[in-house]
Amino acid sequence: MANIELVDLTKHYRQGRSLVRALDGVSLEIEAGEFVSVVGRSGSGKTTLLDLIGLLLRPTGGRVLIDGVDTASMRDNQRADERGQRIGFIFQEYNLLPALNVLENVMLPLRYRKSRGKDGRARALELLEAVGLTDRIKHRPDELSGGQQQRVAIARALINRPAMVLGDEPTGSVDTQTSQELVGLMRWLNREENVTFVIVTHDLELAARADRMIQLKDGRVMADEPVLHAA
Amino acid sequence: MEIIRNMARRRLRTTLTVLGIVIGIFALTTMGAMAEHFNALLDGGVRYFGSSIQVGASDGQAPILPVSKADELMQVAGVEAVFPAYSFAAKPGGLRVVSFGIPDEIVSHSPSENGYNALKTSFAHGRDIADNSRGEVVLGSGIANDLKKKVGDQIDLPVRPQDAKADFINHNFTVVGVLNTTRTAPDSFAYVSIPDAQMLFNDTLPATFRGPLGATQLAESFTVYGKPGASPAELDAIANRINQQTTGLKATKPSDSVNAFKSGGAVFTAVTTAAAMLALVIGGLSVVNTMIMAVTERFREIGLKKAVGAHTGHVLREYLAEATVIGLVGGGLGYLLGVILTNVINLAGRASNLELFLVTPTLTAIALGFSVALGALAGVIPAFRAARLDPVTALRTTS
Repeated sequence: MANIELVDLTKHYRQGRSLVRALDGVSLEIEAGEFVSVVGRSGSGKTTLLDLIGLLLRPTGGRVLIDGVDTASMRDNQRADERGQRIGFIFQEYNLLPALNVLENVMLPLRYRKSRGKDGRARALELLEAVGLTDRIKHRPDELSGGQQQRVAIARALINRPAMVLGDEPTGSVDTQTSQELVGLMRWLNREENVTFVIVTHDLELAARADRMIQLKDGRVMADEPVLHAA
Repeated sequence: MEIIRNMARRRLRTTLTVLGIVIGIFALTTMGAMAEHFNALLDGGVRYFGSSIQVGASDGQAPILPVSKADELMQVAGVEAVFPAYSFAAKPGGLRVVSFGIPDEIVSHSPSENGYNALKTSFAHGRDIADNSRGEVVLGSGIANDLKKKVGDQIDLPVRPQDAKADFINHNFTVVGVLNTTRTAPDSFAYVSIPDAQMLFNDTLPATFRGPLGATQLAESFTVYGKPGASPAELDAIANRINQQTTGLKATKPSDSVNAFKSGGAVFTAVTTAAAMLALVIGGLSVVNTMIMAVTERFREIGLKKAVGAHTGHVLREYLAEATVIGLVGGGLGYLLGVILTNVINLAGRASNLELFLVTPTLTAIALGFSVALGALAGVIPAFRAARLDPVTALRTTS
């Protein structure tokens, strides 16, 4: 599990002559094992925040610390290794490779690990069982429903036993019932695998099922509070 | 496997790209096979003329020499052996046109000559003729095939043309040997002993010359040898001495003959190589185009791979491998088509002793090596483009 610490994080873009402050001085800490949702309107900086935590972007200012290690000095390949070994990603559009079958898609991140280990296939099958797709391992992505494709993406995110999983609108392309199933699955994996989940979403039902909800507006944290669940 | 599946995803585009490579490597294979055949022919000439000195009549004189000139040649320092030489069209009367093959000829031959000449022949069937044998002939593989003769068969030489005049003369020979294929001049030759060649030469002389001079006293030219294994420079020196010390004779320096062969080969090879290269460039451009399209279409895939831990080098290698496989598939098919076509044409030409192509192991290695290199080279720029993509930009690209 990872402890994530963001210190006065900013990300500015040039857009023509104007400067866009996508993230403007965000400081927060996410404890290991938490299930955190990040909400806010379009353009509030949610995805930028996720990209910075996921080491896909470099900040304009401030620091991203993962388990106390400052990531600023990491070179590109070190950041790629860190992503491959400690961070899992789930995207709205699933981003499965059409040329690979379900099992191969789940095992994709193993391809880029320095030490692949021998249990990669067994781990993938275990995860596919956990997400209920054991009977679909030879299918191609275009033979699956949206919900099934996102389950494959969730299994892929967990293949390397990451410390955290970052989700960018993971329920954004599925219907309500499938969305609820996916949220249930992620919560279950959060507990079973002891993985930190940070989910960016517009889906208030999903946000309500997190442990904590962070609200962004204009690149700043407007609210950061625990979610109270009915007993 | 992923590469093949990716290629299969865009079947039409992949097919067109592979076709571009197929055409390029097909052109390289066929043109190269033609050049290899031509070079093999020239190589025989280089070996033959590089190890002997051709001596004919002086410029402006008729190619009829007294055999006694051989004694004069033997007096020249360095000369080890002299053989009178004769050659005649095996199938007279036909139109002589420029072709890639050597026309069928009857040539004089002495087994003793084998020890001196660098161009070695071996027997597929039968045996060699003896120095003074009469009525025997050894056939090269091509002319044997052309005339449909084997050891033990009878053959009238020269072959009587369909429109032969009443005074046409030929003689009956028994085929005693057939040579292995050399892919050069001996394939087209019918070898007869020097006495038989003199008899045939006598038939070619005007009637007034035939009786008084006697066939055994005349030669068309001489083939002169130094000691076995003599260098071209040593033979050139002997040729110079022949020209200085004899009269009515002209020796051609082996280096001049060899250079003439080599320059002819170089021009032919340059022309065929240029044509093949042009086809290859076109094939290469089609791979570049396909790979650029593939990279553009797969921005999100590249972004995802980088997100899940792929280094720039991983992406570079994957796209280079894909381009290389396209090159190899196209190259393999182009090479196979080239081999099939050249074999079919050779088979059709074999009946008339006209083979145009020779696919060698070197050519095979060049064709397949080029296809791999072509794919890899054409894939370099698109692969770099893919590898250097920023993962966030790539991931957010709309399909």
